[in-house]
Amino acid sequence: MEVKKAAATTPPEAETKAPTEVAVEAAPGTLRKSGVEIEAERLRPVQVEPGKALYRQVLPGVLQVPADLVIAAARKSSLWPMTFGLACCAIEMMATYMSHHDLDRFGIVPWASPRQADVMIVAGTVTKKMAPAVKLLYEQMPNPKWVISMGACATNGGPYTRYDRVLQGVDKIIPVDVYVPGCPPRPEALMDGLIALQNKIMEERKKIG
Amino acid sequence: MTVEQEHELDTLEINVNVGPQHPATHGVFRMVLAIDGEKVIDLVPHIGYLHRGAEKLSENLDYRQAIGLQDRTEYLAAFNAEFCYVMAIEKLAGIEVPERAEYIRVILAELNRITSHYMFMGAFSTDIGVFGTAFTYGFREREYIQDLFEEVSGDRMMYGYFRPGGVAWDVPDNFKERVRWVCRQTRVGISDIDGLLTNNEVFVARTRGIGAISLENAIDYGLSGPVLRACGLKVDLRREEPYSIYDRFDFDIPTGERGDSFDRYLVRLEEMRQSVRIVEQAVEQMPDSGPILPEKVPRRLRCPPGEVYMRAENPRGEYGIYLVSKGGDKPYRLKIRSPSYCNLMALKEMTVGHYVADAVVVLGSIDIVLGEVDR
Amino acid sequence: MSPEELQEAPVVPPPAGSVADLFVAVLPDVEFQATQGALDVILTVDRGDVVRILRAARDDPRLDFKYLRCLSGVDHMEAGLEVVYHLYSYTHKHNVTIKTRLPQDDPSVPSVTSIWKGANWHEREAAEMFGIFFEGHPNLVPLLLPEDMTDHHPLRKDSPLAEIEEWQAERAGLAAGETGEAEE
Repeated sequence: MEVKKAAATTPPEAETKAPTEVAVEAAPGTLRKSGVEIEAERLRPVQVEPGKALYRQVLPGVLQVPADLVIAAARKSSLWPMTFGLACCAIEMMATYMSHHDLDRFGIVPWASPRQADVMIVAGTVTKKMAPAVKLLYEQMPNPKWVISMGACATNGGPYTRYDRVLQGVDKIIPVDVYVPGCPPRPEALMDGLIALQNKIMEERKKIG
Repeated sequence: MTVEQEHELDTLEINVNVGPQHPATHGVFRMVLAIDGEKVIDLVPHIGYLHRGAEKLSENLDYRQAIGLQDRTEYLAAFNAEFCYVMAIEKLAGIEVPERAEYIRVILAELNRITSHYMFMGAFSTDIGVFGTAFTYGFREREYIQDLFEEVSGDRMMYGYFRPGGVAWDVPDNFKERVRWVCRQTRVGISDIDGLLTNNEVFVARTRGIGAISLENAIDYGLSGPVLRACGLKVDLRREEPYSIYDRFDFDIPTGERGDSFDRYLVRLEEMRQSVRIVEQAVEQMPDSGPILPEKVPRRLRCPPGEVYMRAENPRGEYGIYLVSKGGDKPYRLKIRSPSYCNLMALKEMTVGHYVADAVVVLGSIDIVLGEVDR
Repeated sequence: MSPEELQEAPVVPPPAGSVADLFVAVLPDVEFQATQGALDVILTVDRGDVVRILRAARDDPRLDFKYLRCLSGVDHMEAGLEVVYHLYSYTHKHNVTIKTRLPQDDPSVPSVTSIWKGANWHEREAAEMFGIFFEGHPNLVPLLLPEDMTDHHPLRKDSPLAEIEEWQAERAGLAAGETGEAEE
């Protein structure tokens, strides 16, 4: 069975991805949907809209700059990840939260509900059965939101990439900001990824919100 | 409200979806509960959200490469899963394992059993409501043992250290002192967790009598491991069908009486103490030097044609590897019989009749790892 | 491995006094083909007799196989599909493997969920992975695969692995369609 490929030509550093539509071809002469069409529908990427915050309209120009600085510093110092551990990387993510490699000192508190979370750490393999749930959770998170793809499986399928029920990377359906490699990444590597996300939030403070 | 007024209320039967993402950190498992008021009357589990095709992929990797996939299938007790897999290959190919490698394997497998049970203690108590305290204690103890694993194999979680015939490389020189230090530390950690949970009124009230299953039903469903021992059957694969060198060690098999969640917790707590006993005996008996791989194991291992079903006692139950080989250096069919998969079949039986809040407790007490449920 | 390199296991008769003799004593009119595997005795039976034999294996007090360890399917390509049952008895401490072969164009076998409740999910998984139909199964819907994406059976030998995306291969400098090495 052929896997429909989403055209992911933008480099990972771009903060907003513009995913293209996946063309669905209907097999001629059949009434029932084929597996390829069903898959294309289930795995259509999310449409990302840029946000328009109120304070940019209220404080345009000069006064917006210090407001940007303060707001971005506040956002990066209190990232609340949604606990979205799927597989083995979840155990290393939990180990990073715990007292040995503490993440609470960065202001990072695990939070179960997507409605109050800032960042989604996709830790583990995303299968095609789970993909609609991942998209739904991403859409439930309010702006501003970021995604960290932790581990090899979330980056490009990892050790399971040759199996056709595994999504080859979570960036096929949601836009990713930071990729943390490893199988599983060490807690120090995940901390490095989160600090990289904090730096990214400060650098791109003009473009968010 | 009086009892008569309560009976006059009409309750509606609703479906509650405990969805694939939920904070009870067991992974991507989904169950749909049909509840009437607060009582659960039906439960339908949906699995497969982490189905990654380890069996299909193993057919295209040779025997040594597939060890890495075994790690990732059962990621909390990776040494035990690797142990069963390499023993299956050794039985099929007729490879003899040297003494020192046997002792190293047993020590690492039993320490991994302890870390897996620490994880259970943490996650189970989080489900009950001891939100985070026992979890943090458990992870602190796990870090001590994981440091030892990292010194030996190079990785904290996905070891890839066992090989058909022994282990990949020799342990560091201070291995015995480190293991003895870890054993001392673990005894303190186990008594910490014991003091925190066993006589805790809330813990006992929430687990005693919840999720009980009778012994005949348990055997019929194919349950194994601590879940079966809590029902009263004193059976352990390390005694029933001894593999490796377990017949040289002296350890007890803890059992429960009622088969409910509290008994499963007590069985696992006592198993941790017995594992420490095994490790201490193994460290005393281990030879100080010797080969760790037989001399004549070829680089590309070819197995003769045949089949074997090798079973081992994993922390969650009976882990089975059904290996069919038709010559060549890749398995023809590798079926993983995982204990969490079989234990999960009985979830409906254990939960129906209890309240909604108990459904999470029962699920936690079975101790599933989604990696091996879905493979 | 190409089909020419596949070899079959040699048939080694089991030692006297093993479980195979018990089966012959309990069911004298059934055809068995017994061989000694690496750990267990393997009995190959006809698919029409499967339910009778397994029911006798559980109920007869001399055999008393109350524990179904595992139920798997194997794809032997032209030789057909195979269903393998592994059983164990806690009281007599013996174990046995029972196999039955199904033709490729008619892969159906009676279900054993009425004998052991623990066969339920194993049969569902074998059905979706190999296309084996278990007659009498109460709920034969896909278990591990997504419900609407079951147009082929992954564990059959003729269903291929997925290709790695082309753009990854282009980045690594390989030609389109070539893939890298098999990963762990």
